[in-house]
Amino acid sequence: MTEFAIEATAFALQNVPAPQVQGVELSWYLALSAALFTIGVVGVIIKRNVISMFMCIELMLNAVNLTLVAFSSYFRDVTGQLFVFIVMTVAAAEAAVGLGIIIAIFRNRESLDVDDANILKL
Amino acid sequence: MVAQRNPLYSAISLVGVFIALACLYLTLAAPFIAAVQVIVYAGAIMVLVVFVIMLLNVEEEERRPLRMRYLVPAAIVLAAILVAEASFILFYVQTNPATPRTPLNTDVGLTSQIGSGLFTRYLLPFEITSVLLLMAIVGAMSLARRGQLLSPQARVIPGSQVLPMDVVDPRRVGDATEVETDTTDEAARVMGYGDVLRKRDDEEV
Repeated sequence: MTEFAIEATAFALQNVPAPQVQGVELSWYLALSAALFTIGVVGVIIKRNVISMFMCIELMLNAVNLTLVAFSSYFRDVTGQLFVFIVMTVAAAEAAVGLGIIIAIFRNRESLDVDDANILKL
Repeated sequence: MVAQRNPLYSAISLVGVFIALACLYLTLAAPFIAAVQVIVYAGAIMVLVVFVIMLLNVEEEERRPLRMRYLVPAAIVLAAILVAEASFILFYVQTNPATPRTPLNTDVGLTSQIGSGLFTRYLLPFEITSVLLLMAIVGAMSLARRGQLLSPQARVIPGSQVLPMDVVDPRRVGDATEVETDTTDEAARVMGYGDVLRKRDDEEV
């Protein structure tokens, strides 16, 4: 962390213009991604509804996807976009299984509150 | 999205977020990812989520009294410090770790590039992904169905479905007695397994 700070300060002192992706700096994309991820984390923490928490997890996955695409487009490397593709597949699988689990919980508990599902079994 | 108490409203705003992200991917010269984002996320996953919300008839989250109220100002102060640090880094520190390797107008985000990457260098992750999807399908099916294969109230269409006896009773191998009934319960009673079903139902209750 300190090494990064020293490096960053050195670059700041050199006053090198930041690399740009079609007019928009990379750091804006990263900041937006960080904001989205934070909103997702806050939602997972403060929400009690299982479906709302699930959607917040999707939001976090999308924030990471935005980071990957931004870096991929910035470095002109297609690997990041391939990884985004795989992340999307994992998210689809997670959606299928997660919603199945949610339906099973609701069938047994008649409630979607996570505080009601606290005994580690359905 | 987080501030909504009705999950349906947050689902709809999440669709808006996904579509906005797809537009960002377009500006980042990744049209394939943008299309997949709209189709898979905004199309498939969110339709699934909204379907589950409608199916389960979710009521609005009720407001609860806040515990540890004295921590709220501390949280606000810490969040302000964090935002100040982040904005300082964003505005005053310019990092330049590497320069772009190729000129600006490339065909990096195109579908052919992604396809050739997926099927040559990253073939193993691609195949692992397919196995993962298969596992998800099997897991979702086994989670979503009820305990037995057919519920007692399930309608059995006469003549179209023949349950061989050896499915019902492993001891009677090869016995394919045809029974025409309306429900599974009736079929079980005709075949002489009504008391077995009744006992099982009692145990479940």
